Amino acid sequence: MHEPEGRLSETRSHTRRRFLALAGAAGAVGLAGCGGDGGDSGNGDSGGDGGGSDGGDGDGGDTDDDGGSTDGSPSDLGSVTVGVVNPITGAYSSLGPGQRNGAKLAVSQINDSDEYDLELDAVYEDTGTEAGAAQQSAQKVVQEDGAQYLFGAISSSVALSLNEFAAQEEFIYFPGGAAVPITGQACNEWVFRVETNTAQVAEAISAYTVNNLGSNVWFHIADYAYGDSVYNRTKSRMQAANDDFTEVGKTASELGSSNFGSFITQIGNSEADAAILGMTGGDLINFVNQAAEEGLKDQVALVGPTMSFLVVRGATKGNAVGTFGGVRYTAALDTGDNGQFVDAFNSEYDATPDNFERVGYDSLRLIAKGMQEAGSTDPADARDALAGGTFTTVLGDVTLREGDHQATNPTWMSEMVAGDGELAAVDLLEKTEGEEALPPASELGCEMG
Amino acid sequence: MSAVANAAEQLLNGVTLGMVYVLLAAGLSIIFGVMDVINFSHGELFALGAYFALSLVDPLGANLGFPVALVVAPLAVGVVGVAIERFTVRPLYGRNPLYHILLTFGLVLIINDVIRFTWGQQQQQLAVPAVLSQPVGAFGVRVAVYNLFMIAIAALLAAGTWLALNRTRYGMVVRAGSQDREMVRNVGIDIDRYYTLVFGFGAALAAVGGIVLGGYQNVNPNMGGSVIIPAFIIVVLGGLGSFRGAVFGGLLVGVVQTLTRTYLPVLEGLTVFLLMIAVLLLKPQGLFGNPEWGGGGDEEGELLVGAYGGVFAAGTRRRLGVLAVAGLAVFPVVATVTDNGFYVTLANTMLVWALFALSLDFVMGSAGLVSLGHAMFFGVGAYAGALALLHLAPSFLVALLAAVLVPAALAWVVGSLSIRVSGVYFAMITLAFAELVYSAVFKVEFTGGSDGLLGFDALLGLAGVGPRLSEIELTVAGVTVGSSVVFYYVALALAVGTLLVARRFMNAPFGSVLQSIGESDERAAFVGYDVTRYKRRAFVISGAIAGLAGGLLAVNPDTFVISPDQTLHWINSGEVIVMTLLGGMGTLFGPMIGAGVFIGAEDILSSHTEQWRMIIGAVFVVFVLFVPRGLVSVPALLARRLGSDEGDPPLGVEDREVNADD
Repeated sequence: MHEPEGRLSETRSHTRRRFLALAGAAGAVGLAGCGGDGGDSGNGDSGGDGGGSDGGDGDGGDTDDDGGSTDGSPSDLGSVTVGVVNPITGAYSSLGPGQRNGAKLAVSQINDSDEYDLELDAVYEDTGTEAGAAQQSAQKVVQEDGAQYLFGAISSSVALSLNEFAAQEEFIYFPGGAAVPITGQACNEWVFRVETNTAQVAEAISAYTVNNLGSNVWFHIADYAYGDSVYNRTKSRMQAANDDFTEVGKTASELGSSNFGSFITQIGNSEADAAILGMTGGDLINFVNQAAEEGLKDQVALVGPTMSFLVVRGATKGNAVGTFGGVRYTAALDTGDNGQFVDAFNSEYDATPDNFERVGYDSLRLIAKGMQEAGSTDPADARDALAGGTFTTVLGDVTLREGDHQATNPTWMSEMVAGDGELAAVDLLEKTEGEEALPPASELGCEMG
Repeated sequence: MSAVANAAEQLLNGVTLGMVYVLLAAGLSIIFGVMDVINFSHGELFALGAYFALSLVDPLGANLGFPVALVVAPLAVGVVGVAIERFTVRPLYGRNPLYHILLTFGLVLIINDVIRFTWGQQQQQLAVPAVLSQPVGAFGVRVAVYNLFMIAIAALLAAGTWLALNRTRYGMVVRAGSQDREMVRNVGIDIDRYYTLVFGFGAALAAVGGIVLGGYQNVNPNMGGSVIIPAFIIVVLGGLGSFRGAVFGGLLVGVVQTLTRTYLPVLEGLTVFLLMIAVLLLKPQGLFGNPEWGGGGDEEGELLVGAYGGVFAAGTRRRLGVLAVAGLAVFPVVATVTDNGFYVTLANTMLVWALFALSLDFVMGSAGLVSLGHAMFFGVGAYAGALALLHLAPSFLVALLAAVLVPAALAWVVGSLSIRVSGVYFAMITLAFAELVYSAVFKVEFTGGSDGLLGFDALLGLAGVGPRLSEIELTVAGVTVGSSVVFYYVALALAVGTLLVARRFMNAPFGSVLQSIGESDERAAFVGYDVTRYKRRAFVISGAIAGLAGGLLAVNPDTFVISPDQTLHWINSGEVIVMTLLGGMGTLFGPMIGAGVFIGAEDILSSHTEQWRMIIGAVFVVFVLFVPRGLVSVPALLARRLGSDEGDPPLGVEDREVNADD
């Protein structure tokens, strides 16, 4: 964490330029609207927020005073509105609150820290149960609260729609979904992803499974975008990793199924050594619990890209022991500044953070670091600073890759083993480094130009 | 593994799944079949059972806690059920089962928020005794002990309930009541007390299902929502009022679904609905349904159409209407000048839903056709619109045309097949068709699956000429008017225009015939009208309007995705019924107001409290109890309260107490 301090002085020197840029931006909007009123209405809320600090910028003496004063003083870049939209109700409601808590922790740390020359003013909204409500929430924070930075959503459908919204309105968006197309086919210059995508996890589990657990593989997926994505990625990576790979069978269950007896029987009576489970949340939990009760675990190695999630382990307990899973994040990691994150999260919420908490935390930190590095709260400047930049996160130093703005997070293969309490513990078997885990942007379909 | 052993295992899986369905449907069958109450909160009572069990198993441990929970938790939920019946359901007896939808929808929101608030959002595991969670094998067939346990419990429950209904005096009274409540009352039996017990018993059965299934799946706040539709389908498929039908229907669905998963996987997700449609088409009263029994057919109860005529004279009403439209026309100007652009976006959503609600009222308020599948037309309209923009021409006119024509055609097909059944069966068969469409969207490529359709953009013109709707920016007198405002006026014009056309229809002889059909099918037919044809025509028009609403959603410049959950999920059908009732059914404009209020309230409340769903739920309950004719009747109610004597007393408002006893 030396970098930000090193940049502090540099950032201050940018202050005046930022003011000019802001004035220029306001002018540009004014032109588009053919009049001063247009400029106001287009930029109203953020202009209002920045109003106090703009005055300070104009007066050089004030700026110095601000810089010299101690804790929590209004800093050079002023206060920036950030929208945080998470699924608090609906299908992803078991994950949304964690995402939000991670974001909240980051906001309070950033606002208490003098490493940053800005303060985040976060507005929170529920994305609800479906894409329409999610869009409405995002529109609210962008249009009404004037947020030019947005983080959140888990469902791939919602994230993809917010991608388009970000491109149209030209604000920065950090999605919380793992589907490949978000920074693949649907990528655009305004979208940056801290979440590890399905392709990166597939890289960690595919080769290990086919080389160590058996080359006869069954695929069972939930019949929706995520399931298809897991199937396509893991299958192609397994083919590449081992010539003996054989797809023994493939079954698909309706999203939200609660009874998997029929599929468990089919898998158990097949020649499969391993089964890849392309599903998550309640579907995966039900599958694992029922598979354990029917004794499938003893016959076939169950491998789920999200098996290590705290939510899944919490609801499968002993039934998860002996299964395998990809790891996007686990609290026990000693990467980056994870130690302080886990401690801080623990003291704030009296709970262990997991992947969604991490995504919320680092997304908000990177939003702030982007502005800090750019020395500007203008989304276009922050975008340029973030693209291709390398930042310290809880997963170590990762790059928001130039080609698709996907963070080069490392991933792991793991086995669920008996833990101290009721929960299975995550035993890391093999690490895939960030550069190896992420396939080339072109392969994932991103053409940002 | 031999093919025979494999098939035996799958058959056992099927029976297990079937018994799971029996557990889901048993309680609902009693309440729905006997009392005619469409109890959407059944799923939440089911979840409540699982959560009560969780609270007992955690401190007591699985071996002691689970058996204790199996006894104590259903009793506790039974008490909740009794309270629900006594304080909310009872005042509604004699009214159309439709009102139970609004009421129990409200209860769903309340109970669900209580669950979230008390037990948290995470999935949790309900620990079961170790003896139950292991596999056993014999003759090369392996099965989990817990599966056998579920089969045993469900069988025990089914047999016990059957005996209670058929071999006890209680059961006899209850059965008699389900056939003719009035007659039972006339022989001096306090049937209402029996019904309270029936409701409590049904709730307790739901809880047993929740506990047993909680040990099989996981316990989470969404578990209630995921079982309610299958449960309804089993009950209707088996035949309303027939407990035997529910048991047999559950087994049938379980076995067929499991076997298709193995041998015909392409039907995954569709089986249940296909089965139900097939059964209802062949035998409209369900497998074991007795056509002479209740089930909505002959004991419809009264539909309370919105009463608004009382307070204001005709001239005043017209002036109010013009004033409202004028106000709506000025609204975006005010919003833009005061820098509240977001409210234009919100108003656009309201206009879309207002049209959707209007479409439902067109058939529900006049002909009494309660469609629980209207989201199908809305969704298909949205998809047709978006697909037209993507593949035909990026013109909003083309998109809207597609959005009207495709759902209209679909409505003709669905209407032709569904109109032969009536009442609750009609609601359920339309629901099945809608679920079929919803599931199908996941299966085909061109709809974009679960992600939905993205990347479409409408031009404000024809044949590729004209500006992009999303890029329009006009400057009028120094105020920049964005694309949202342009869309607003398009949507407003369409909404008002459609309302006027719909009113014209209703005031024409066509509307009078529909209303007479709504009052009595038989009488209308007797006078010589082709009831089926009239109903179908109305249904097609309604489908077209719903499609138009969906099409508007697609061309809205603030819409970036058309996804299945957003448009086709059954919850949208439920919500639009709620909006219609909230606003005032049968008035055409009332439901539109209801839609606006619903969406506005949701937006405001959700920003201020995480418990917003509970508040909305409570509002529904209060509304259905005290303002049954909807928002449009509020002026009349107020006028009556204030003793105003302007105009006639609104028709029927004062009859509420009389109706309560049917």
